[in-house]
Amino acid sequence: MTTTKSAATLNADNNLLLEGPLLRLPLEVLRKIFKSSQRYIENDGKKLCELARDAAAKAPQVSPETSLESLNAMITRMQTLKRKMETLHGEEKAIHKQSRKRVSHLNDLHSLTSLLEDGYESWSKIRLDRFMVDYMLRNGYSDSARQLAHEQNIDDLVDVDVFVQCWNIEESLRNKKTTECLAWCAEHKTALKKIKSTLEFELRLQVYIELVRERKLKEAASYTRKHLSGSFDTHTTEFLRASCMLAFPPERPGPYRALYAESRWDHLVKTFVSTHHNLYNLPQEPLLHVALAAGLSSLKTPSCHSTLSTRHNTACSVTSLCPICSTELNELAKPVPYGHHTTSWVDHDLVLLPNGRVYGTKRLSDLAGKLGLDSGKIRDPISGEEYDYTEVRKVFIS
Amino acid sequence: MDAIEKELDRLTSQANLSKSIKDIDRCLQMLMAARSTIEKDPSATTRELQTLEPKLKAGFQDANDSLKGLHGGIAKYTKALDKKFKHATNENGFDALANNQPLINRAIMMHLLREGKFEVADTFSKEAGLVDTVPPILEREFRELYSIQESLRQRQLGPAIEWAAKRRDVLEAKASNLEFELHRLQYLVFLCSGGVNDPKKALEYSRSWFLPFQHKYLSGLYSLCLCFGWTMPLTEHIIEISQLAGCLLWRGKMANSPYAAMVQDDSSWQSIIDSFTKEFCGLLRLSAESPLYVATTAGAIALPTFNKMATIMKAKKTEWTSQNELPVEVPLPDKFKYHSIFVCPVSKEQTTDLNPPMMIPCGHVLAKDTVNKLARGTGSRYKCPYCPADSLPKDAQEIFL
Repeated sequence: MTTTKSAATLNADNNLLLEGPLLRLPLEVLRKIFKSSQRYIENDGKKLCELARDAAAKAPQVSPETSLESLNAMITRMQTLKRKMETLHGEEKAIHKQSRKRVSHLNDLHSLTSLLEDGYESWSKIRLDRFMVDYMLRNGYSDSARQLAHEQNIDDLVDVDVFVQCWNIEESLRNKKTTECLAWCAEHKTALKKIKSTLEFELRLQVYIELVRERKLKEAASYTRKHLSGSFDTHTTEFLRASCMLAFPPERPGPYRALYAESRWDHLVKTFVSTHHNLYNLPQEPLLHVALAAGLSSLKTPSCHSTLSTRHNTACSVTSLCPICSTELNELAKPVPYGHHTTSWVDHDLVLLPNGRVYGTKRLSDLAGKLGLDSGKIRDPISGEEYDYTEVRKVFIS
Repeated sequence: MDAIEKELDRLTSQANLSKSIKDIDRCLQMLMAARSTIEKDPSATTRELQTLEPKLKAGFQDANDSLKGLHGGIAKYTKALDKKFKHATNENGFDALANNQPLINRAIMMHLLREGKFEVADTFSKEAGLVDTVPPILEREFRELYSIQESLRQRQLGPAIEWAAKRRDVLEAKASNLEFELHRLQYLVFLCSGGVNDPKKALEYSRSWFLPFQHKYLSGLYSLCLCFGWTMPLTEHIIEISQLAGCLLWRGKMANSPYAAMVQDDSSWQSIIDSFTKEFCGLLRLSAESPLYVATTAGAIALPTFNKMATIMKAKKTEWTSQNELPVEVPLPDKFKYHSIFVCPVSKEQTTDLNPPMMIPCGHVLAKDTVNKLARGTGSRYKCPYCPADSLPKDAQEIFL
């Protein structure tokens, strides 16, 4: 069944393509909270049971005071566990509250039916604010992001903390420090294993390369034994290459130039960011890029970068300047393809003026009326030339 | 969305950490109870301590079991999300705007200024190192724009009128109504505000401000004056005569008149703000609505089409960004069309600088390439595809749409 749907119909589900991260990211945080609580309960449970067993076994031999002491130690541990769990619960509740706000934001979209409603405009404005915050965070402009989110009252709709953490690790890698990133890997060990990430291996390899670069060969060798040998089976070639590079100092890298290269750090940054976004179910590119690229292309026309652009756009009554022609986006839109159209889009009753420009009759007569021209006279709205109405010719656009 | 909400409800009401915390608390209470027993009766120490391990084990087992509920809750919520958000954001996986950071930063900067977010813009400009990306003069213009918009939002017309009066010549050349519309609204504001002296003020106002417009807007003025019950509005002495009569006529009724509604109605104020913004930005050679907003909104509407396109292009191993023109039409509401578009009815191609629209002597319009093709590239006589007339290619005239 095909019915012609108006281009203004709002299909909320189609608008959701860009909104996945809005709910998926908090979900990943929730999952992380769950994993931490599971780890706490497992570790502390094991430890407490051990303590209880020990205390019970020793009880007949030691004084009641000593036993009481070990019991007190157990109580303290239990209290700490409870506190840790309560902190997690607090975080969990905050995520629930935040997700609820996000769901209600998406529900606002679902309550609309037309793209022309005012409601859609204000919803899209919030969306743009969210995308700008997302863009700023991914580029490390966290103060701007925070300030914008706060001013627009969308703190619950953006994920400042996750991105700031990500950015800090990126920065530490750019400063050639691996500690933060390795700690992050340890924190997400199971998840990384699941997606077969090579991030940790690459990081360890880099630590090793830096040791070799400084000619700390002994430490390099022991580092290999400790951290790299476990990955021998999965990364055999890299492992062997790394072992051989010991013989080539950085001044004469021979075939190992690539391993010594500074660009390996950039590669690490990229690998980390893409792994991070993968793990949190985030698109690799800023949402603003995705929306903007599609928008630029669908709005762009051959006139937007025409050398004659000032002479164009006469035959339709839109007088507002096109967003692609405006300074903000003009250059950005240069490389993208222009939109495809199968039908002409012009005013009714077109006429040609002697200067070669085409206008709708109504536009010309409206203007003549407004300017109070003598009857039978018209003026070109753009060039200002005045003509007699008898000089115009009808134009037929089929 | 309902399914998602339901699962979210389950997470907040049951599937969370509160149960495990209760289980842990029970273990804690149990340990404390053991302590007080031992404190009261030290001889019970060994017996008491021996019971602890199994109790703790059971307690932690409970805590673990409660966590399973949470795990299940998260799994169900995930499923609900998967169902709603089936598709990837960008099927292409290709970032057409990567490496364009400076241009995007500038677009954001200008958007922030346009929206009057001067503080954020300031922070952003410092953080992103955007010195001089936006000329300071433009920033000043945006500040003026914003402050006039603000006063209009507070229903103060003064600053806008002053701005328009200073630019009367340019605005008139563009056949803009702005100044007149502002004055008209001001006049109605005086007329409807209900104070004893306000009608007189309105009259004086109309006398001093409408006279320059009387040629252009006679009919508009006429209808304005109707609310006074006048017939000959611009003749000085009639105004004065009507002054008394007029006052008596509409006093007390003004609140119910359509003119009062116009002044009180938010939409008439919004539309004056819109036309002011349009003229202001037009003079700066900028579009009236934020281009960043228009483009992202259009992009969000177009995205499903793009994703479908990307899937097909992937199969053909090409990118949509590698061509001059998109392969399919993107359905957008008319308000996203800003240019006249001419598609040659014969070749079905959009006209461009290199292939402009040509009007042939019979009045039909074709693309230049089409005309050449019809004349078989020889400049010979050809028949119009739409009427019986025939003509020479050299008689076709390039037109500007």
